[in-house]
Amino acid sequence: MSMAVNLPPVRPQTDHKRPGLLRRIVAEYGQECVVLAAIMLLFVVVTLVNPRFVNANNLVTIFSGNAYIAVAAIGMAMVIMTGNIDVSVGALIGVLATVAGTLAVSGYPIWFALVAPIFVGMAVNTVIGVLVAYAKIPSIVVTLGALSILRGGLISVTGGTWISDLPPDFLIAQKRLLGLPVPFLFMIVLTIAAFLWMRYSAFGRSIYAIGGNPEAAVATGIPVERRLVSVFAIHGAFAGVAAILFATQLQVIQSTVPPNLELTIITATVIGGVSILGGSGTVIGSTLATILFATIGSALIFINVSAYWLRAVIGLLILATVLADMLRRHRRT
Amino acid sequence: MGKIVLSAILALSFSTSLSHAQSTWTGGDDLPTNPLACDGAAATAAAVPYDGGEPTDAPDRKGKTLTVVDVPKLVGIGYFNATSKGIAEAAAEMGTMNAKTDGPSRANIDDQITLIDNYITSGVDGILFAANDPVAISPVLKKALAAGINVVGYDANSQPDARQWFVNQAEFNGIAKSMIDAMAAEIGEDGAFAIVTSTFTTPNQARWIAEMEAYQSACYPNMKWLETVEAQEDNILSFNQANTLINKYGDEMKGILGMTSVATPAAADAVTQAGQCGNVAVVGLATPNAMKPYVASDCVKSVVLWNPVDLGYAAAYVLRAVADGTLQPGATSVEAGKLGELQVINGSEILLGAPFVFTKDNINDFDF
Repeated sequence: MSMAVNLPPVRPQTDHKRPGLLRRIVAEYGQECVVLAAIMLLFVVVTLVNPRFVNANNLVTIFSGNAYIAVAAIGMAMVIMTGNIDVSVGALIGVLATVAGTLAVSGYPIWFALVAPIFVGMAVNTVIGVLVAYAKIPSIVVTLGALSILRGGLISVTGGTWISDLPPDFLIAQKRLLGLPVPFLFMIVLTIAAFLWMRYSAFGRSIYAIGGNPEAAVATGIPVERRLVSVFAIHGAFAGVAAILFATQLQVIQSTVPPNLELTIITATVIGGVSILGGSGTVIGSTLATILFATIGSALIFINVSAYWLRAVIGLLILATVLADMLRRHRRT
Repeated sequence: MGKIVLSAILALSFSTSLSHAQSTWTGGDDLPTNPLACDGAAATAAAVPYDGGEPTDAPDRKGKTLTVVDVPKLVGIGYFNATSKGIAEAAAEMGTMNAKTDGPSRANIDDQITLIDNYITSGVDGILFAANDPVAISPVLKKALAAGINVVGYDANSQPDARQWFVNQAEFNGIAKSMIDAMAAEIGEDGAFAIVTSTFTTPNQARWIAEMEAYQSACYPNMKWLETVEAQEDNILSFNQANTLINKYGDEMKGILGMTSVATPAAADAVTQAGQCGNVAVVGLATPNAMKPYVASDCVKSVVLWNPVDLGYAAAYVLRAVADGTLQPGATSVEAGKLGELQVINGSEILLGAPFVFTKDNINDFDF
């Protein structure tokens, strides 16, 4: 390797001046802070208009209702941080939900029905990862192909029928632990675990390195191809968990998935501050963004505003976020 | 650069909906409505001249045993198993019809056209169909008419002149009346309810909502229409939206109307998980299989749709009548066995009748 190497931009925390803790948090997690502030602002405003907004049941709806999207967004954030994208995850979640439901009603043990989607998701995404990392096919192309295959396959295999008669023990997303809804707990625990892992483990740091500067990553001895495959596989595991939360929330499993689910997941990661160009962002941001979506959705109903504004507001948020990201990068270089 | 373009497209896909932001509040459309009478008397629709086709040189089939093929959108699913069961029932009742069902294994228009073409060649007296595509199927149906075959559609229409009659399972005002009647029966004629729909601009749902509003204001003026929320065709979003409605209105809201087979079971699940069964009624359009758990638990009492067994049954009787020459262009009704007199609407369509309400007593008889 004799080529010149662009070192990644110097991170603020290596500064010797060490500004105050709050200043450092805002500097390093700017987008996360913006999203959090937006959530808090919405809560204050809507509660002033209609105090029922903060009743316990509505808090459950807001913080638990989008948990499966947040969990899927964790894996998506990792993929996007490496400078790739996955547009097939919505269809994958649909397939995995059907896998879980089919196993549950076919008499397999509940634990098996709940664990199988995680491994199937890892297997599918390992194939995608190999095509991206070793065959060097752009991830958008591979995953567009996977999207068609998974979506078409799901309809062909199920014939559009729904799965009902699910055993009550299977419906874990309806349960509570320590008084808190299970989807909420999954979201919080997985977000924090992933955040710490990505910040402090060598593997986690290498995800940022691959997306921030692939040549430098190679030069520093990171096995980029292998790591890419692993990241896609981990993303598949998160899709599996998301699929379980999705499949066990209601008493019937549809053979279709919410339209544009993959777009919602990608949007959450982008608004949460994960750079669409790779190399930066956190999963705290993506989780906060899904909570923001749920808050906006609920707020619109509570203050009687048409749901079309939700999409309009989210569209503007994406543009603003991407623009801010570009400006930040421009300033650094 | 590609990624920047991608993110721009992403943003655009969401923000283009800005232009719709001023959409109507209730979720209905602006087309004129035609609400049915409160007591259910038949609507007096303006007479439309017959616009169906005619077979060329059809032989006299009066009273003779007919060989009939039924070509649904696809075979092997509960819905079309039910229609073909209805056709078989009617055929057995008449004793003068040999009917068999043969459809594509997936809902594919090319397969369906090939299949119909083969039956024209092999020679049948009548064809029943449910089209996968109203335009694409029309040439092969015209070919059947030209070969002197009687052609009757059901469930999904072709172009009118490509078949003789079409059995229409439900009109918008009929569905609207059944939905509002069922809701009024459960929450009282002065109850308040909200609606969960797909989007305000989905044509069928918008039409149903507009007709429901018209019928409700004429027949149950004291019912209170709280609001209509959108939930795409997204079951978890439907669940969240229904929950939000419950959280927002509390005891004020007595019922939720689900406008899609995705929204209705999700709303029922929200009511179930909120422990509000019995306090918040759920009435909606949905397929029976999706609703069985909620009907079995007594959380949902009425599911509105049509009966596909009756639909197939009626189609077989219409084909018999048209082959016998008893159903002629210009007729206003047709006799359909146990279903009685069915009304002719829109020129060359036959209305199956009032929508079917699935309840705890009958829902287990259906599998679709």
